[in-house]
Amino acid sequence: MKLTKSFNRSLWVFHLNTGSCNGCEIEIVATVAPRYDPERFGMRLVGSPKHADVLLVTGPVTKKMAQKVRRVYAQVPDPKVVMCIGTCGQSGGVFYDSYNLDGPIDQVLPVDVYVPGCPPRPEAIIYGVVKALEKLERLEAAQ
Amino acid sequence: MDLIASVQTGYGVWDPVAWLIAFVVATIVVYLLWKTGESSYKRGTEQGRPYLSGNAEPEKGAVHIRASNLYWGYLQALKGYYDTIVPMHTGILTDYVVWFVAVTAVLLVIVGVLS
Repeated sequence: MKLTKSFNRSLWVFHLNTGSCNGCEIEIVATVAPRYDPERFGMRLVGSPKHADVLLVTGPVTKKMAQKVRRVYAQVPDPKVVMCIGTCGQSGGVFYDSYNLDGPIDQVLPVDVYVPGCPPRPEAIIYGVVKALEKLERLEAAQ
Repeated sequence: MDLIASVQTGYGVWDPVAWLIAFVVATIVVYLLWKTGESSYKRGTEQGRPYLSGNAEPEKGAVHIRASNLYWGYLQALKGYYDTIVPMHTGILTDYVVWFVAVTAVLLVIVGVLS
């Protein structure tokens, strides 16, 4: 992978739980913890979508969360990349036939990177972030 | 009178040139900080609104401190008085006319008795 200006700027990530069981959240926390330490590359979780380059979405998107998810997505500045972490966001997972879903995530937002798994391992999440970085570079080059 | 001369006030020095230099330096610092901000955000969209955990931004009056908060203690201290007097303010004109006539009648009776 070629390192470009977007990598120099570093990648800031906002995590959004749309109804996840917290399994994916535990793996995300494991990913940002010192064992993998992606912050040495400038990648870090931020507390506001307005500071983020990447939206990390977990969960199957419940009806209550759908409007909030759209609003948070709209608040992320362009160019932005959406990462779907876990099986629930891709297909609904074990909640696939629930009466209470507006998801999966691609029914609500345009998703750029899928990281499958229930929950996915930190290595998979980091690989997904690298893919997101590549996409972001392409988007920035196109701007 | 020299406009750019230092003035000795007895408590310190007022130097217009030093003040101007400080002002220019502060302006440059502010500009540099402003330049580091996100320039690609779109005005008038959600990107320009505050992040409130995905919730819609309430009306400003619903989240800001209202003027009534400043005299809350005053209202609390006179709670018994206000609890009585506020329900009397119905906003109906005929009610106020009735109060006016009643109070006038009572005053006339008092004045009549006293005189």
